[in-house]
Amino acid sequence: MMDVLIETRGLTRNYGEICALKPLDLRVNNGEWLSIMGHSGSGKSTLLNLLGGLDRPSDGFIRVGGEDLRVLSEDGMARYRREFVGIIFQQHHLIPYLTAVENIMMAQYFHSVPDEAEARTALERVGLGHRLKNRPGELSGGEQQRVCIARAIINSPRLLLGDEPTGNLDHGSTRVVMELLSELRAEEQFTIIMVTHNHEVAAWGDRTIYLDDGVMVREELKGD
Amino acid sequence: MQRNRWQFHLVIRALAYRRGRTFLLIAVLSMAASLATALGIVSLTMEKRVAEEIRKYGANLIIMPEKARISIGSGGLNFGEFSEATYLNQVKTEDAIIRSGIQLEHSLHLSGTLRRGAADILVEGVNFEVIRRLFPWWHIQGSWPNGAEAVIGSRLAARLGIKVGEELELLGVAGVVRPRVAGIVNTGGEEDDLLYLALPELQQVSGRSGQLTLVRLLVTAGGERLKTAMDRLGPLLSGAVVKEVRQVARTSEGLLAKVKLLMMLATVVVLISAGSSVAGTMSASILERGKEIGLMKAMGGGRLNILLLFCGEALLLGVTGGITGYLIGNVIALFIMQTVFAAPPGFISWLVWASMGVSLFLALAGSAGPLVSVFRLDPVRSLRGE
Repeated sequence: MMDVLIETRGLTRNYGEICALKPLDLRVNNGEWLSIMGHSGSGKSTLLNLLGGLDRPSDGFIRVGGEDLRVLSEDGMARYRREFVGIIFQQHHLIPYLTAVENIMMAQYFHSVPDEAEARTALERVGLGHRLKNRPGELSGGEQQRVCIARAIINSPRLLLGDEPTGNLDHGSTRVVMELLSELRAEEQFTIIMVTHNHEVAAWGDRTIYLDDGVMVREELKGD
Repeated sequence: MQRNRWQFHLVIRALAYRRGRTFLLIAVLSMAASLATALGIVSLTMEKRVAEEIRKYGANLIIMPEKARISIGSGGLNFGEFSEATYLNQVKTEDAIIRSGIQLEHSLHLSGTLRRGAADILVEGVNFEVIRRLFPWWHIQGSWPNGAEAVIGSRLAARLGIKVGEELELLGVAGVVRPRVAGIVNTGGEEDDLLYLALPELQQVSGRSGQLTLVRLLVTAGGERLKTAMDRLGPLLSGAVVKEVRQVARTSEGLLAKVKLLMMLATVVVLISAGSSVAGTMSASILERGKEIGLMKAMGGGRLNILLLFCGEALLLGVTGGITGYLIGNVIALFIMQTVFAAPPGFISWLVWASMGVSLFLALAGSAGPLVSVFRLDPVRSLRGE
């Protein structure tokens, strides 16, 4: 039996009168790749933010890697994010005044100590060994997303979260990014939870859940 | 890479990326620091300058003997009283001045009359070296006297037909002196009616060795010190009184205090104005970087780590603004001093710390509000750009 990395029970998130996520029970195993699909406003990103420790639930239980996220302080949440989670954003969110390698070192700085050699290796792993000194503005969308992936994995997180990581990429770049994530997961054995609108991207996961209006309406295992 | 080096690298990169805003902030901080520096230099130099100007007005205190008052009358009759001239003891008076511990310069005087032919001449014994230093408005036609020479007032010289180089024979109660007239003094005041001899010579010829009729004091410090000097000297001098003689000195000191207050208020207004400007610019800068801060938080950046980066930027801006402001402030002070006082400003090196203090205070105080908001920033909302 595989060990459970994430467990939520009755997980709820309200924004005033609006209930973005209705009581959700979810279990994700260690090393699993879970895709989350749904329309805009279905609660996908809300769930991802709660799992990433970027937001706090209004109600319910959420435990990730044995850590009860409800009781963590601000500093505890920051520690959880830097030691446990790597996040890939749709908009990349790279720091514009830093080079590709420096963007990776930024994540190292918050985690422990900036190590340029290690950051270079991470960029080489995502195929950007020739773009180390380029700033984000000098990189294509696909290249920026690969820098974002390198930054997300540099601290060896146990949980990699992707918030529509291929949403801004063309078909070719999407394929490159997904293959890269697949390879890295095989090497690093981290758990992936990825929000997407794209069925082809979702299909890379072991399991896909569908959210609608904050409720999990369907669940599919790979090959179903 | 060491964390400290990395932090410094990040600060430099962040400031260099927003060159325009960085230059604007440095300009505002420099302006505030330069004005504080310039006003500081002018204020401190002006104090010295005004003290020098006050010197030009001459002595501001005098010590004179109390007049001995003798009642005239007998039995129930009283015909009033008259004053008899008395003298100060030179040794005791000088001792009292030293014991008072007051920083001042003093000039010893003995007044008397000497006979020249059939006429009596009013003569004053002085130390010409001290006179030359303390009374810079004395204009001497001829030269300042050496040794046993004399200086004669212009009106007296004209009245008696005495010329420079002439030798006089003067008869006193204790002897005769024959000084040569080295120069004629013209002040437009009472000096023009007197003949001046070296003090020891007059004391000897008039039989008043060790005696004085007047001591003129020049206290160059502020008005409060003038009063302190009077209060301190009074009890040390028996049979003498200390009087203030130059109201103009006190007026100048009062004016100096008012000008300094005005400059201080102007500095405060400038600092408040610059502080608001810095706060506004820093707020705009931090709000503009909301996504960046949200990202740092999403990567697990602790509040302290993020705060350190922004404080580092404020510190670097503050130090740069302080040093630049100090240099510019010296130029402004040079301009003010040359325009207003026609004199160079003093170089006051420690003001660089004051300049940096002002600039750092403004940079940090201006950043304080926006930095508090950094602590409260919700990473999800800031990453969305809200």
